[in-house]
Amino acid sequence: MSFGHGFLRNPDLFPARPAGEPWGDRELVLDLPGGPYGFSGLSADQEEAALARFGDLRLDSEPAVATTVFRAAAEDFLEIDTRGWEYALDFDSGPSSVRLAGLDLTGRLDWRPALRGALWTPAGSALVPEDRFPGIFENFCRVLVAYRLHELGGAVVHGAAVVDGGEALLFAGPSGAGKSTVARMALERGMTVLSDDLNALLPGPVLCGLPFTGDLDKADSRARYPLRALLRLEKDTDDRLRPLGRAETAACLLACSPFVNADPDRHAALLSTYLGLMEGVPAYALRFSLAGGMWGILPEA
Amino acid sequence: MSFSEVLRKTWRDNLLFSVLVELTYRCNLDCFFCYNALGLRGERMSTEQYFRFFDALRDLEVLNLTLSGGEPLAHPDFMKLGARARELGFVVRVKSNGHALRGEMARRLRDEVDPFLIEVSLHGSTAATHDRQTRVPGSFERLLANLREVLDLGMRVKINSTLTRWNEDEAEGMLDLADSLGLQIQIDPEVTPRDDGGREPLSIAPTREGVHRLFALQARRAAEAGANLSIAHGADDGTLPAPVEKHCGAGSAGIAVDPFGNVYPCVQWRRPVGNLHRQPIREIWTGSAGLREVREITAGAKRIVDGYGPSGSFLNFCPGSAATRTGDPLAIYPEAVLRMEETEKAFGAEKKKVLLPILS
Amino acid sequence: MNEDTVLKPAPDVRFRIVDGEAVVVRQRSSEVLVMSEVAARILTLADGVRPIGAWVETLAAEYEVDRATLEQDVLRFAAELAAEGILE
Repeated sequence: MSFGHGFLRNPDLFPARPAGEPWGDRELVLDLPGGPYGFSGLSADQEEAALARFGDLRLDSEPAVATTVFRAAAEDFLEIDTRGWEYALDFDSGPSSVRLAGLDLTGRLDWRPALRGALWTPAGSALVPEDRFPGIFENFCRVLVAYRLHELGGAVVHGAAVVDGGEALLFAGPSGAGKSTVARMALERGMTVLSDDLNALLPGPVLCGLPFTGDLDKADSRARYPLRALLRLEKDTDDRLRPLGRAETAACLLACSPFVNADPDRHAALLSTYLGLMEGVPAYALRFSLAGGMWGILPEA
Repeated sequence: MSFSEVLRKTWRDNLLFSVLVELTYRCNLDCFFCYNALGLRGERMSTEQYFRFFDALRDLEVLNLTLSGGEPLAHPDFMKLGARARELGFVVRVKSNGHALRGEMARRLRDEVDPFLIEVSLHGSTAATHDRQTRVPGSFERLLANLREVLDLGMRVKINSTLTRWNEDEAEGMLDLADSLGLQIQIDPEVTPRDDGGREPLSIAPTREGVHRLFALQARRAAEAGANLSIAHGADDGTLPAPVEKHCGAGSAGIAVDPFGNVYPCVQWRRPVGNLHRQPIREIWTGSAGLREVREITAGAKRIVDGYGPSGSFLNFCPGSAATRTGDPLAIYPEAVLRMEETEKAFGAEKKKVLLPILS
Repeated sequence: MNEDTVLKPAPDVRFRIVDGEAVVVRQRSSEVLVMSEVAARILTLADGVRPIGAWVETLAAEYEVDRATLEQDVLRFAAELAAEGILE
């Protein structure tokens, strides 16, 4: 199927430029890695919904990346039975723009030449009990942050990030690899968990959690820690570490990088980014059991 | 009484006759020189408000209603609005880039809106040039395919084009392309700044040489066809300008409205004279101080243009464009002088009738 | 064509009354015609519901003409407009 056909009633009308009629005149700026990120054109309800989710990241400063939120009509989108449906977005990328389509969401990232975002959605009414705006806003932010970090020489990575002795350990792996398990085990041991789902890896390399968490509540995404090691998760019945080579390391991270890793215009650059970032940083394949023995074999500071 | 006499009356007596509505600034193309003021903010017009507005226009005996944008088809209620306009007896024109005009959309347009005319934009006679302007690869091929579909459905289409530095070598190609489709084409020899004053579009203004070649080409073709000469004119509704004590019908017989309910004397004159959220159109039309001033200005413009003698009409002077370019709606800007000079060269100094109208 | 005939504007006809004149557009042929005030009245009366007889009644109240003449004129005019394809 060509771009957008799974979500949009008429993909021919997909906006080719960041223009339209905003929902309102509210604005907010969020302190997320790669930011600050500004959002304008919000309605009062949308602003409230965004703050309910990310209010502790609110900043009073000029954004580095601006996004406008425009109105769309419910009729712009196909009706999708969301029961048992796994959340997905449709992407179409080019060298200077990325288009996205999803449930009640169309979006654009454009480099003109600086990055700016645009989001069109019919959602945003506090009167609708199951209003989708909070989820839509968050999903757009995930994509925005992933691309922004990419252009800054970093990346968004799926993984559980745990703090040990002032440094971060990144337990990377796809869905089901055991990230939440590791995070829970870490919490039980009284360790700080930055995130059990999405993290920002930045030049340094340093790691910080992203507030787009999986099972845990709100990570502190302002705290950054130097990355001590990458641990590629493999569930097992015993605990074992095996060092990973540079290529395996980069491949693991690439596999765990949402959105950008599937972007044909950018995944090669992302691979280069990882090779560079992880220079000199140890990486291991970690087989671990639920008995908790793994903590004893992890690399120390 | 002839139609041109009726038009004269509308200008003279301030009888609202033609309205252009920018339904949305959303667009499925991204033309480099687009004049829309994309940073404009305000409260959008609801569909109910548009319905009431159309009712009021009908009561004012407005005949021409042009749906524009952005891309009007991108307005979620375009079909409802178009159908209502048809029901209310307007002569409906749709200014579309044509990119989505295929399949069900095209059929619905014919069946539900039945527009008098669809005006599409062509930016070159080659995909490279056209797509360079629209910044959407494949848009040229798509436009041609959609035009064939729309024509097969029996709808009437006209092609609008603007001469730019990028396409001035393709003017003949564009005329040929229009001919091959059996369609009228109007090529405007001027690029205007953005409605918010932004001057980036002017960076691709056509050269004098390009304008000269266009006019010479048009004069030659008109002579070959034995027809009355056609010179591109800025009038949106394709009507003959009637000689009256005003330079044009802006604010006297026509208005334009943006997606936020702001009312302007004309699509090119971005001086707001009222807002539909605050006042019904009848009140604005009869009571706006801004419109009163605009009507005086168009009278003043006529005197200034008349001062140029028979070649004055070749200036194709637009007070709205003057206001955007210079801040002064009565300032004759250099592009107008260029146009006059090149028109004289190509068509001679004799005063001629302008654009072959859509309505004969 | 008689008093009981019901007529309405053809589907591709659009018209407005501008200063007492009827400006009539025939979309299919891209033509515009300007017609008299009486024509303008008839176009508004031809609503596809009321028969010509009803128009005559309405017009009789507005114009000081004897009814027989008026009826003849209206019928003739309606016939002309129908022949032109403006009314059907």
